[in-house]
Amino acid sequence: MSVRRWLALGLGLAVCALASAAPASWVGDLRPINGEDWNEARAAHLLERAGFGGTPQDIRRLAALTPQQAVRQLVRVPRDADGGLPAFEHSGLHHPGLDPFPPSRPAATDQARDTGQALGVRVKPEGNRRLQPVVDEFFYWLRASKLETDRVGQWWAGRMLRSEHPLVEKMALFWHGHFATHEDKVRDYRKMLGQLQLFQRQGLGNFRDLLVATAQDPAMLSFLDAGVNVKGAPNENFAREIMEMFTLGVGHYGETDIREAARAFTGWNFEGTRFVLNRERHDDGEKTVLGQRGRFDGVQVIDLLLAQPAAAEHVAGRLYRFLVREDMPTGMAQQLGALWRSQRYEIAPLLEILLLSRDFHASAGTRIKSPVELVVSTYRKLGVTQLPGIPDFNDTTGALGQRLLHPPTVAGWAHGRGWITPGLLMERGNFVREALFPDFMAPAPDRVPAGTGVGMETRAVHERLRRGLDISAATLPANDKEGGEAMAMSNRQADRDEDFNTRYGSYRGWLRAVQAVKPIPRSMANPDLAAIVQGCGSATAAAAVDCLVQRFFSVPMDAATRAAWAGWLARELGTPQIDRARSYLEDPLRGLLHIMLSHPDYQLG
Amino acid sequence: MLDRRTLLAAAGAGLLAPPLLMQAARAATPQAGSRILVVLELSGGNDGLNTVVPYTDDTYHRLRPTLAIAPSKVRRLDERFGLNPGLAAFERLYKDGRLAIVHGCGYEQPSFSHFASMAIWHTAMPQGGDTSGWVGRLADAMLPAGDAAGAPIVNIDSAQSLAVASRRHVPVVFDDPALFERRAFFSQRGLIDAAPADVPAEGQGERPWLHGIARAARDTSAQVREACARYRTPVDYGLVPLDLPKVAALIAADMPTRLYYVAYRRNAFDTHVHQADPHQRMLTYVADAVAGFLRDMERIGRADDVVLMAFSEFGRRASENANLGTDHGTAGPVFVAGKPVAGGHHGKPLDLADLLPDQNLRHTTDFRRAYASVIEGWLGVPSAPLLRGRFEPFALFA
Repeated sequence: MSVRRWLALGLGLAVCALASAAPASWVGDLRPINGEDWNEARAAHLLERAGFGGTPQDIRRLAALTPQQAVRQLVRVPRDADGGLPAFEHSGLHHPGLDPFPPSRPAATDQARDTGQALGVRVKPEGNRRLQPVVDEFFYWLRASKLETDRVGQWWAGRMLRSEHPLVEKMALFWHGHFATHEDKVRDYRKMLGQLQLFQRQGLGNFRDLLVATAQDPAMLSFLDAGVNVKGAPNENFAREIMEMFTLGVGHYGETDIREAARAFTGWNFEGTRFVLNRERHDDGEKTVLGQRGRFDGVQVIDLLLAQPAAAEHVAGRLYRFLVREDMPTGMAQQLGALWRSQRYEIAPLLEILLLSRDFHASAGTRIKSPVELVVSTYRKLGVTQLPGIPDFNDTTGALGQRLLHPPTVAGWAHGRGWITPGLLMERGNFVREALFPDFMAPAPDRVPAGTGVGMETRAVHERLRRGLDISAATLPANDKEGGEAMAMSNRQADRDEDFNTRYGSYRGWLRAVQAVKPIPRSMANPDLAAIVQGCGSATAAAAVDCLVQRFFSVPMDAATRAAWAGWLARELGTPQIDRARSYLEDPLRGLLHIMLSHPDYQLG
Repeated sequence: MLDRRTLLAAAGAGLLAPPLLMQAARAATPQAGSRILVVLELSGGNDGLNTVVPYTDDTYHRLRPTLAIAPSKVRRLDERFGLNPGLAAFERLYKDGRLAIVHGCGYEQPSFSHFASMAIWHTAMPQGGDTSGWVGRLADAMLPAGDAAGAPIVNIDSAQSLAVASRRHVPVVFDDPALFERRAFFSQRGLIDAAPADVPAEGQGERPWLHGIARAARDTSAQVREACARYRTPVDYGLVPLDLPKVAALIAADMPTRLYYVAYRRNAFDTHVHQADPHQRMLTYVADAVAGFLRDMERIGRADDVVLMAFSEFGRRASENANLGTDHGTAGPVFVAGKPVAGGHHGKPLDLADLLPDQNLRHTTDFRRAYASVIEGWLGVPSAPLLRGRFEPFALFA
């Protein structure tokens, strides 16, 4: 690299560092930035928040546009654009006998006892454990749906990593947290996938359309017990959440509003993956909701909710906190709410205002990245183009507190400081280690039951059955040991029924599921850090550190810390001169990057 | 003389074997009593009426034609109350005089939102507007100086609870102790474990806070990891141990921590639909885990030092719904268990004949009285300043 190019890069760095420091007066100012405010640092910030970060090449491409063009390119996405990526590839796990899936194992076995079959499986006419095939089928679907949902998560994260339209995936992530549903309760990957595709398709469209579609989405209907919300016996779960979480927020409705609104949603249900309206079960009587009286149906109630200023303020406020900063300036929610209502709840124009605003561009490096953002953006900045299977994406983000399609509660994920605890902060650094130094000998978590609880039981049952033990002996609980303490009530009860053996069914479910579900490819990241550092023209260990800081961090690092890192690299290289270590740079650089990205400041984006 | 800080610093440097060190640390801390409080959160709104069952009350059976638990099925405590059939382990604790039931805990103008009501229980501020939790403020009162190595609060969960948010301390929050570690190669160890540089708070956003968390993690993770890895117990905590074996491990390792917070997570008790079987099962898990934990405390000789309190953010509606479940309600029982506890009923039982207009229970006990009882009666800390008001404690301790 020529000295001139090297100097130009150095100068570029200095300019970026200067220009990214926005005046404090920009906080809370929604006016757009000007052309002269636009530079690579601001483009990097935009890509970080409106997408999942990028390489210096991605950033330069965006910086070459005007700020308006750059934001538009992210926000204005043709409908049904596929991002240049393949659709989800189903393993082919479902059969019609599984619909409707019973709410619990006891419900399945009761049904089998009463009717002679359940889940498309008949009870054995004679012999021991006559209900066992039904129980096996129950656990097969539970496990298969769970594993396939992990494949959906992997597929989605792959889109975050590679899509030409990263904001589509970012907004899908926002709506998934806003309209939180959880696979453990829905128990059907098809519904979880369908809902995700809805968010991908309509996440940048109109909020009213999205809200109606979500309210009629089978994952949501199943998650909030729509099936039991019927005329004469309304169930309040959905009506409460649509007011508290999805539109108004606490304090803008009363208990009567919830009860009345629940009546309007009666009869809304699903069959398989389809919304159905059961007119016989719909209560079309008069209701009073938020002071309005009429024979409202569910869609009309949604319109009543959206007519409230609180709805626009609540949702726009959540979006602001997701994209800009946790601490909302006074009056911001009202300002955004009014703007959004004047735009008739169109999402794209609101995003354009936010992403172009001085306020947004004064927020660089202030926000704690969510686990999914951390993992995907780390891969992107490493230049990785295929989402690795080692470490397992779902386990990694799950351990950090954000397993896709498994938000913790109906409120979605708590952002900001809620992402960080002492344990989680360490685990974030550990992710970097697993990405750069993969544990390629660990069993695949989508094949082998992991962990100490049920996982250990299942592995033990597997071993004993293969040794030739009978089912009763093979499924004895692990803690039913000679001389041990008295067994707890829950463990004593697990195996009392003679018609079937639950532990055996759980094991059979695993076996059948892993035979049917396609495996997640066990690929690993293999970045080229040597090329990255050489691309920066770094001549010394200190310059290499600066190159990596610039590429990965959103905040400047102090001189002492950088010097400590450079010292470590120089020791590993046996020289501070990059040139002299050219032929063995990669491993020491990976060790260095692991140390660097374990720093607490790497959590900021 | 060695003080605790020096000792703990020495531990960080690997100069002393941990058990010896922790004993020394305890001995060298004159103000640290040995009494420990474990708080167990039952998230989702536990159905109190089907937990402590007023089985002789006709109104109960009328309000719950299908969900009411028959007198022949309850585990009778006396002529008025029986426990849910799943609560065998609680029945034993009760009969041994080690389980106190504080009836009717709630607050005025109840919120039916999980999040709003849980925040009220977490902050002990029904009027809202507080960013610290009651356990966090309790730690501030017990150990005024910010001292990460003192680890005044341990919260075992995947995210920090608002209840433990403190003004002075960084709670030690972890989930899987085996993962509470920076994994690194030998040559990286020194640098990766180095404390981050101090940053001035001015204009630095989240950085000083993040650095504080990093220091707390560094100072406590080895203790926690080693304590849990070393711990072996013959006690059966049941199918869902609720992180209580980890608490036992830390207590057995003589961690200086005196406040522990664990939860039955993920809104488990939100039983809108078909609740009878799952509710009973979950109660069994809770009772197994709590009784197992207390037996384990007995085993390691700490039964006189440990008390556990269990609560939920609300009870459920007095009447059942049309889906064999119950909707969000108001008041419910708080349980306080342990050898030092004065077992039995405390507080005025709920009156099913005097419901709120929407078939909800009228609370009989401000939940902060239960808090005040453990804060003052067990930990000997004045409760009024940290509950921002005077709440009469119950005599829950023998």
